[in-house]
Amino acid sequence: MAADLSSTANSILFDRSARTVWRIGFDRWIGRLLPLLFLVAIFPILSLVYYISEKAVPTLTWNVITSTSPYGDHLGVAIVGTFELYLFATSLAVLFGLFGGVAVAEFLPESAANWVRTSANLLVGTPSVILGYMGYITFCLYFGWGLTFEAGAVTMAFFMTPYIFRTADLAFTSVPAPIREAALGSGARPSQYILKVGAPIAFPQILTGIFLALAIGVGETAPIVLTTTASVLVPQNLHSPVTVLTALIWENYAQAPSTGLQTIAFQAAFLILVIVLVLNVVVRVISTIYRKRLEGLYQ
Amino acid sequence: MSSPVPDPVRDRQPIPAAAGPSSPVPSAPARAPFARVLSGIVPYLPAAVPAVMLIIIVVALVHASGFTNFGLQFFSLHFDPPVDQWGIAVFLIGSFLVAVPALFFSMLFGVGLAVASTAYLPKLVTQVLDPFVDLLAGIPSVVYGIWAFIIVAPYFGSTVEPTIHAYLGFLPGFSGPTQSGGTGIMLAVFILTLMALPITTLLIRDSLRAVPKDLWESGLALGATRWEVVRRVAIPYARRGIFSAAFLGFGRAFGETVAVAMVLGSATVLPSSVYAIGNTMAAEMFELLDSAYGNSQFLAALSEMAVVLLIISLVVNVVGRRFISRLYKEQVAGL
Repeated sequence: MAADLSSTANSILFDRSARTVWRIGFDRWIGRLLPLLFLVAIFPILSLVYYISEKAVPTLTWNVITSTSPYGDHLGVAIVGTFELYLFATSLAVLFGLFGGVAVAEFLPESAANWVRTSANLLVGTPSVILGYMGYITFCLYFGWGLTFEAGAVTMAFFMTPYIFRTADLAFTSVPAPIREAALGSGARPSQYILKVGAPIAFPQILTGIFLALAIGVGETAPIVLTTTASVLVPQNLHSPVTVLTALIWENYAQAPSTGLQTIAFQAAFLILVIVLVLNVVVRVISTIYRKRLEGLYQ
Repeated sequence: MSSPVPDPVRDRQPIPAAAGPSSPVPSAPARAPFARVLSGIVPYLPAAVPAVMLIIIVVALVHASGFTNFGLQFFSLHFDPPVDQWGIAVFLIGSFLVAVPALFFSMLFGVGLAVASTAYLPKLVTQVLDPFVDLLAGIPSVVYGIWAFIIVAPYFGSTVEPTIHAYLGFLPGFSGPTQSGGTGIMLAVFILTLMALPITTLLIRDSLRAVPKDLWESGLALGATRWEVVRRVAIPYARRGIFSAAFLGFGRAFGETVAVAMVLGSATVLPSSVYAIGNTMAAEMFELLDSAYGNSQFLAALSEMAVVLLIISLVVNVVGRRFISRLYKEQVAGL
């Protein structure tokens, strides 16, 4: 009897049937092959960064970046245009997104808040070309602003607001409930709670959201191209035309190589890539610090 | 009906206000009714921002399209503005032709990458490798476009497409003549796969990580291999996340504009093979808005196309987000 049992146990523990060998071998090989799929992501990134640097860096002098001369082989005009337009757009987006997010997180009852969150999510999922059309139809035609700095900036603000809105909402809802209740329970008014307790805790995450919105917004092309016209001068006022880096790429990428305009497009692409990657790194660093701080709050 | 025993709760009397200046409850300053209503509403107003923005988008597009201009002819195959032919079917089909294969490949790679990093690779390695996939989401589409147009397209035209033609030429759709330039459906599918990959990978990875550790371990303890646990336990458990990854990835690929406009060519006929040029709704709208200036019929047609695109992407997003609404506690790029 005992011998029977041990032989059964042996046959289970040291099962060498073809099926078991196949199962274990399959598992082992798929574990070796699946990680190779990371090449699908890593190889294009390396290729993209390498070739764009190769085309852009040798001719990218300090003069090319800083000179705002109106002739087509300098980037200064586009850099100043990008900076001013996104400064304007980000300010507007922060204004709307921050107030909206705080209101949803702190004041709105849960059922209504979920509707608002859904609509913010839908805005994020809307293709950017649709936002460009909205900007063109509403601001350029209906408001009569034409293809100008202001139309582009307000359209970009439309694009960036939902991102900032969602982070502000998340940041204020993820303030630890004991801290919120302690503040409100000891008699703080909502405004006092928001400014003195909630804001310091939520601030890093909101900052992450702003940088993230900026990183996504700076890379957008369609809304800008549809609502502004290119210019060889830096924007003089809100009604002037403006050139931004992404629009510069779109206009010049298919020009004949002999004109040198393609090189300008590659240099603009290189700068955009650097800006976006730096913003992404900043987002990562801030959110790591923030997560540690938030964990500290619970201790 | 009063009970003989005094009941402190039922027989509660209003507490008499303490007389004199040392009253503990200061009386609220009297406000005009209008100001009171206003101060009750104002904190709620900013919450309407996203809803109002969405309404503005819908109203602007619907208003500009008129929406009754074209009727069923709008879905015909003939798009020829000079002779008033406004069929968008070519672009609608073109959008699906590039978005569906791109979604297929990005789901395939996404499941593979997610399984590799949740079930097989040690944590230290995934911490190094996963950010590369997330990095794909951060690269702007116009940068993808110029890279694909100048650097990848010649390689596709000279090497990849002839090779695929030689081996798969017997399949329908793969038989047509290859283009020497390399731009076309295949290049667009390649770029869109890269652009949809981070979203699908991220969602599948996080939904696989959300599978309870008990399930993984009980599967392994019963003698299943890791692959069998993934296949029979983890993926069925995470099916909602995988489902929403498919929808959101599709939304991303379907609405992508600039990169597609750069690599797909601008054809107004249906592509005959995977090597042919074509066009999508988003790219066509983007390229043609300039020509629509001053031509109200043209602008109406394009706006109507925008409404169709908006409806499709809203539906895709509503379905895709139903399952992940509160899965994420912080912002994720492009999600």
